[in-house]
Order: sequence, then structure tokens, then C-alpha cells
Amino acid sequence: MSADINVKSLKKNAFRVSKHRGETASRVRIPGGLINAKSMVRITEIAEKYGNGSIFITNRQGVEIPGISLEDIDAVNKELQLCIDEAHINQEERDKGFPASGTRNVVACPGARLCPFGCYDTTAFAQKMEDQIFPNNRHFKVAFTGCSNDCAKVRMDDFGIMGMTEPQYDPDRCIGCGQCVDYCKIRSVGALKMVGGKVIRDTDKCIGCGVCVTYCPTRAWTRSKEHYFRVTLLGRTGKKNPRLAEDFMKWADEETVMKIVKNAYAFVEEYIDPNAYESKEHVGYIVDRTGFDEFYKWIMKDVTPNEKCEVNNRLYWGGKHYDVSNNIKPVGVNDIR
Amino acid sequence: MMSQENIYVPFKSEILDVIKHTAKEYTFRMKFEGECRPGQFFEVSVPKFGEAPISISGIGDDFVDLTIRRVGTVTNEVFEHYKGQYLLMRGPYGNGFDTGLFTDGETVVVAGGTGVSPVRGVISALADSDTPEDKHVIVGFKSPDDMLFRADLKDWDAKLDLILTVDGAPEGYSGKVGLVTKYIPDLPLKDAGSAKAVVVGPPPMMRFSVKGLLEKGFKEENIWVSQERRMCCGLGKCGHCRIGDKYVCLDGPVFNYSVSKDMLD
Amino acid sequence: MGYVVSKEAFDQVLQKLGEKYRLYAPVRKVGEGRFTDTDVVRYDFVNRLEDMELDAKSDYAFKEILTPLSQTLFFFTEGETKEADMDISDAIVFLRACDLHAVKSLDDIYLRNRFEDPFYKKIREHIKFALIGCASSFENCFCVDMGTNVAPDDYIFSIDAAGDQVKSAVCSDEVAEIFESISAKKEDVTPAHVTENPVHVEIPDQIPNSIFKSDIWDEYSSRCIGCGRCNIVCPTCTCFTMQDTFYSENGKVGERRRVAASCMINGYTNVAGGGQYRKSQGERMRFKVLHKISDHKKRFGHNMCVGCGRCDDVCPEYIKFSNIINKVDNAVEEEGR
Repeated sequence: MSADINVKSLKKNAFRVSKHRGETASRVRIPGGLINAKSMVRITEIAEKYGNGSIFITNRQGVEIPGISLEDIDAVNKELQLCIDEAHINQEERDKGFPASGTRNVVACPGARLCPFGCYDTTAFAQKMEDQIFPNNRHFKVAFTGCSNDCAKVRMDDFGIMGMTEPQYDPDRCIGCGQCVDYCKIRSVGALKMVGGKVIRDTDKCIGCGVCVTYCPTRAWTRSKEHYFRVTLLGRTGKKNPRLAEDFMKWADEETVMKIVKNAYAFVEEYIDPNAYESKEHVGYIVDRTGFDEFYKWIMKDVTPNEKCEVNNRLYWGGKHYDVSNNIKPVGVNDIR
Repeated sequence: MMSQENIYVPFKSEILDVIKHTAKEYTFRMKFEGECRPGQFFEVSVPKFGEAPISISGIGDDFVDLTIRRVGTVTNEVFEHYKGQYLLMRGPYGNGFDTGLFTDGETVVVAGGTGVSPVRGVISALADSDTPEDKHVIVGFKSPDDMLFRADLKDWDAKLDLILTVDGAPEGYSGKVGLVTKYIPDLPLKDAGSAKAVVVGPPPMMRFSVKGLLEKGFKEENIWVSQERRMCCGLGKCGHCRIGDKYVCLDGPVFNYSVSKDMLD
Repeated sequence: MGYVVSKEAFDQVLQKLGEKYRLYAPVRKVGEGRFTDTDVVRYDFVNRLEDMELDAKSDYAFKEILTPLSQTLFFFTEGETKEADMDISDAIVFLRACDLHAVKSLDDIYLRNRFEDPFYKKIREHIKFALIGCASSFENCFCVDMGTNVAPDDYIFSIDAAGDQVKSAVCSDEVAEIFESISAKKEDVTPAHVTENPVHVEIPDQIPNSIFKSDIWDEYSSRCIGCGRCNIVCPTCTCFTMQDTFYSENGKVGERRRVAASCMINGYTNVAGGGQYRKSQGERMRFKVLHKISDHKKRFGHNMCVGCGRCDDVCPEYIKFSNIINKVDNAVEEEGR
């Protein structure tokens, strides 16, 4: 007996339509990629009781529990309540599972909680962001990474937030050992040079990764009290025009970052194609239609960036344009002959 | 104000003469009246560029010779701008050679390259000793072009047994070719067991020369070597020249081999 | 002789001392640690008890006050040399028993190694020490085995803070007068000291030269990254490098300074013309370790290492100095067998 299920509601409720008829997979949000052991046990229990005993780890740090019968959706939602509570995920009605799936799980690298190079608590910021933007059906991808290394690959997301620290230099503590200069060259961008036994930082070149601070043996280099962020916009994968995000802000503060992401939702509400297939249109493609100037106007509404923040109001993206040409026509033996 | 007792403060010394040995090596004859010995060194001080330890290569009544090799920031600056007629320096530092130890009886000096500088005074003393025929000096340079103290070499050759050799030479060179160590076994010594030796030069050269001398029958306590180390201060403070419990700038640079053989590094 | 006072009353003592002395003590510098949102404890001026960090081992030792990390010795103008002005105010330095033992080694080098260092002497003459009692051992401490757990006598008073009280053993009339002036309660006070550490070391009386050929050093050639942090935090490392520089393009004005040097950092032994001694980190480790537990003793009659364990606290490669000491001991013992 085939179930009579509203597939659109099912998807919104964070279940995937499986290719196996009658089966679904539950998509569990894990904001910032940090889940407590208790919730993990519950996921395991669901997988064993309702699923096929396997758990899929997604690219966006969530998990999917496959092999669940469509008939068990209500039961699974009830069981998921623990995970939702433990992760403090905003919900409309208890025991009804996740209220939306459009705004994707907010991703974060381990950040400063674990990583010696992390410039801020990525998990905390991701959870704060999740709290502000979820639930929402609009398709948004937000990701946080601790430093310019971008282990979280935030340049593939609509909003990428990279940690920055402004290195503070105390020449009186500097012994001219040159390790900051060497490591900046090896592990970062080579923004430092030694002049007369002391270090000069090229502020234009410095990406605020903090490598100098990490390797300084004397605390001549320390981190700024403020945590700063580089914001990259509208990277994406996909069939039409995959591309890396471009830099929109650097040395932004947390408040500025939070505001522009939230503002972007209003822009989407205003400009999304009413006839979009499955009412789904990625923000990046909307900006392709409206032009960046309009997007800029909306996301910067009521935003007064912090003093140090540099803003780029002329953004251009590259990437592959498969909708124009699926090129690769190599100059190969065939052409020469 | 400059306090007179501050041992880091260099004094001004007039340049009396400059002798150019090679393109990279000059001897600066500096006005200096005071006690000093061959093998001691001065910190030559070039404000804004730094200080460099330089061995005394000659001593006169009112001067010292400093043979400087152009190999770094400081020495570069000395070569470029010595026309200021004076240099700043502080010292002399270190123990130096007790020349009197070597003038009696049989003595062998083995010196390589700039290692000739610190023993130049010793060799001259040997040449002017009462028994120059018992004094054997092996001096080695990389090539004929690298030879230092040519006038001295001629003088020494006339007075004592000088073996002047080069590591390598262009075709047609008539002098001796080969490492200094090559000439140690054949030294015509009457009694190696009581002969004294002085060895100064690059570390490998010193190691092999000492080995050769010991094989020849020299006693450990009759061999003296001069250690080269980085010396930032000359005062036993900066630590760079320490080997074990010895500070080369204070306790050396001249060490008896019976001591220096245990100065492992 | 000693006094027991409330924390408030102790602040009065500090205030009175502060009228005549600069007070230096370990201070927690919030956010100035190596990693994001971590602190560093290092020496700075204090006015009150609460300014001092007494619950942690200072990451950097007191020696920075006596031998600044970077110390300008001379200023050069055209043809003129001027001795740099120095801060030579009378000062009291608060330190623990191990560090007070370390002062001996600093004095050995700067006052007793043939010449007196005029720059060091100027500062040293103006410094008195106050002892911070150790109620318990910190991680990596091995003072007991080094015989440095009980302080030498050259402190003017001690401080043990517990609860609302501060206990001070007082060894100076000047300080006693101050305690008396606030009508402090007199009591016999013995400064707290530890009698047991979690870490133990055995130092052989004689270390034969065969240790140079021992394979115990080999692993450090690959493990040690030569960052020199161990030397910088060590209370007894005194090495420096002279550094000359000029400020302007025309090169007319400049200075000569000395900066802390590390025998573990590449370049320490470089001589003009490109020569270098101890090229591998294993050899450098041997040089450092033998200095601390043997070479200095041969020259000055006591070991350099005071067992504070800071080198172990700071090593990014988790190299344990105390363990190396024991390896040397084992190697010597095996040799003797």
C-alpha cells in the first residue's frame, strides 16, 4: 500500500525523497558541526530502529538517516525532539521535527575551540547565526571558518565568514629571531619583513591569519582584542555557473556580519522569481538578475560597518559558465592533424 | 654622557696604514698602545652595522695590525668606509699566545688561510729566535691568489723552515700544492716528543693537523690550538662562544690541546 | 618574623612599598596568549594584590626585568655615541623559590664571569626580591629534585595568600616597619614551599664525554623545530645577540641593542664567512641540556636548571626537558655498568 504524502511538506520538514519508493531519509541539522554525545546516541537509535542501520555524514556537517519508511515520519520526528532541544534549534511546534530545510545547516570548522590557528569561536558564531536565520525556507548557505586557511571551504557558500586577527606588535619584546617572517612566508602570504632587527608588517598584504602570533616565541606578536572577519559573497556549486565567492568585507565585526546576512533574506523575499521551480531560487542567481548594486543596497540597509571594516561595493564573479558553453575542446591531436 | 667604565664602549683608533693582501683581505694598522698578545682579538665596532671579532695579526710599539676579511655586514662596511681615518674598537680580548713558550727548542706552526693572522706574531718571534733552524712553519692557502703577508712569507722563508703550500693552483705554478697535513709526516724533527706545536685554521684542517702531529709523536700537552667561535661580546656574556664550561672569548681562543680535546661540540 | 594581614591591609603594605619601589609581579594578560582567547602570564607593574596572578606559574620568567628581551645600549648620531638611558628605579620583584635560585645563574654570567656587565649591574643594584610561596606544585615542576623548592635567603618578604588572608615572612626592617605601621598581627610565618612534585629527575654527578656520542639526542633532530621558546621562557638562559641598526634612509642615526638569543634557533653559532657549529637540533638540544645540568656547574659550582618546568610547559612539540635529564642519567648509568 503506497502512502499518500505531501512531498513538498515532507521536504520542508527536512526529509529527503528517496529513490526507493516508500522510503525517506531524515536530515538532522547540526549547527556549527558540533553535536553532543547524547544526540549522537539518539541518532544512532533512530537509525537502528527506523532506518537501515547506517548514518550518512553530509557535506554540510549534518547527518542523514536513510532507509526510514514514510510511515514512520511522525515517530522519527518525536524521537528527533531530543536532538533539536540539545542543539537549541528554533522550532514552531514540538515533536514535529525540523520546521524548514531551505536555509541549510550552518557550517563551521573547529575554530578557536580546538585549532591553534582559529581566530574566533566558529561554533558559537555559527550557533548564534543559526538562531537568527532559522527556520527559513529560503535557500541560504552560510559557513564559518576560523582563519584564512578556509578549511570550512566557505568560498563555496552564499555567505562565507573567515576569522581575522589584527596582529599587535610590541617591538620591545621582539628579539628579531625572524620566525614570524619565515612562517608568514611559508604558511601565509609573506606580509612581514625584517628591517634593522625589527619586523615591519605590510598592512595591505596581511590577511590577519595570526600565524605570526602562533610562532612568536616572546609574545612580541599578540592578537587584537577584537575578533575580525572577512566576508565572502555568493560562491556556489551547481550546474549552471559554479564559482568561488568574492571578498565583500574585511576587518568586519560580528554585528556587521550578522546584519548583512539577515538583510539578505529581505532581498530574496523582494526579488525571488514568483514562478521559480519549486519556489526555489538561489540568492546568487537572483543577484545575477538584479545586479549587485541592488543587492548591496539591501544587505547594507541600516548597517554602519565598524570603523576598521573595508567594504567592496564592486563585486565581480568568475567561475564556469556552463549555461553558455560546456567548453574543454582541447587543442589536441585531432585539431593538428 | 658616556661612562668611562662601560666595557661595551669602543674607543677610537687611528688607521695608520692599510695593506691590501687580496681583494677581500686587508690589514689595518691601528694606533694602539697597550698590552696585547698574538692570538688575542679586538671587537671592531662599526656603529649602525655591528661588531666583529678580529684577531691581532701584528703588534708594534704603538700599533696593532688587524687583518680583516670582507665576509659580512660589518667587515664590508669597514672596507667601504675606512677612509674615515679611524675605526672604533674594543679589546684586546682573550688569552692569546704566550710567545715565549715557543722560541726555545723545536716548534712547529701549522696555519691555514686567515688562521695565519693570529699566529703571525708567533711565527715572527720564531724567525727572530736564537734557533730558527729548529722552527718549522707550514702555511697553507686556498690558492696562490689567497696568500696573505707575502712580505712576511719571504722573510720567514729566509730565516726558518717554511713550507708554503696551496690547496690548488693554476697550471704552471711552481710552488708546493697540497693540504698542510700532507707535510706533517716528513717534518725533520729531532725529537717530536718534546717539540711544541701551534695549529690554527678552519676546524677540519685543525682536526687533521693535530691528528698528524700526534701520529708524528707530539705530546697532547705540547700542542696549542686557537678556536674560532662566534663572539658577540668578547666579555663572556653573550654565550655564543661557549663550548662546555669554557668561554672561548675568556678562556681562549688559545687552548692547550690537552684541554681542547675535551671541548666537544 | 612574620605578619598575617587581610588582603585589604596587604594592599596598604603594597601601596606604601609602591611609594618607593616599582612592584613587578606575574600578571595575567587576558587575550594575549598564543592562541585565540587565551591568556599569558608574564611580568608587569602591579599596585594591588589583585593585579598579581598568584594561582598560576608565570609563562615567562622574571628575568625580562633584569635582562630585557630587547635592550638598547647605545644611540648613534653622526659621529656621536650616546649610552641609552635606562630605567633604574628601585624595584621589588615578586617571584617563586625556583626563580629566586635562578637569579644566581644570571648573576654568575653578568657579574661573575670575569667582567661585570654594566647594563645588568645598573638594573640589578636596584632590585630586591619578594618571595611568592608555593602551596602546591604546578604541572611539569621538578624543583624538589633540583633542590630549589626552598628559597635562598635573599628575599625581603614573602607572600602566601589564602582565603582572605595574606601571610608574610618578613626579613627586612624596612618592610617590617610598614607592617607595623598598619598594626599587622605578628606571627611566625614560614613561606609555603612544595615538598613533592609529580615530575622527578636524577642528575648524574659526572657526565662523561661519551654522552656526546649517545643516541639519546638523535630523536630531537626530527622532533625539535628550533623555535627557541624553551630558552625564552627559561629563568636562567642569558644569551643575547648584539644588533646594530639605523633608522633612516641616509643611515645617519641608529642604535646598538642586544636581544635575547636562543641556542636552539638556527643561526646562533653562525660565524662570518658562513661557518656554523651544531647544525642539527639534536646537537643543539645536547648543548642546552648539558649546560643546564653540568657545564654551568663545572664553572660556577651549581646547576643552572632550577626545575621550573617552563620549557616543558611551552614546547609545541611536547619535548620534556625533565625526561631528557633522566635519559642522560640512564645513559650515564648504562655506560658505567
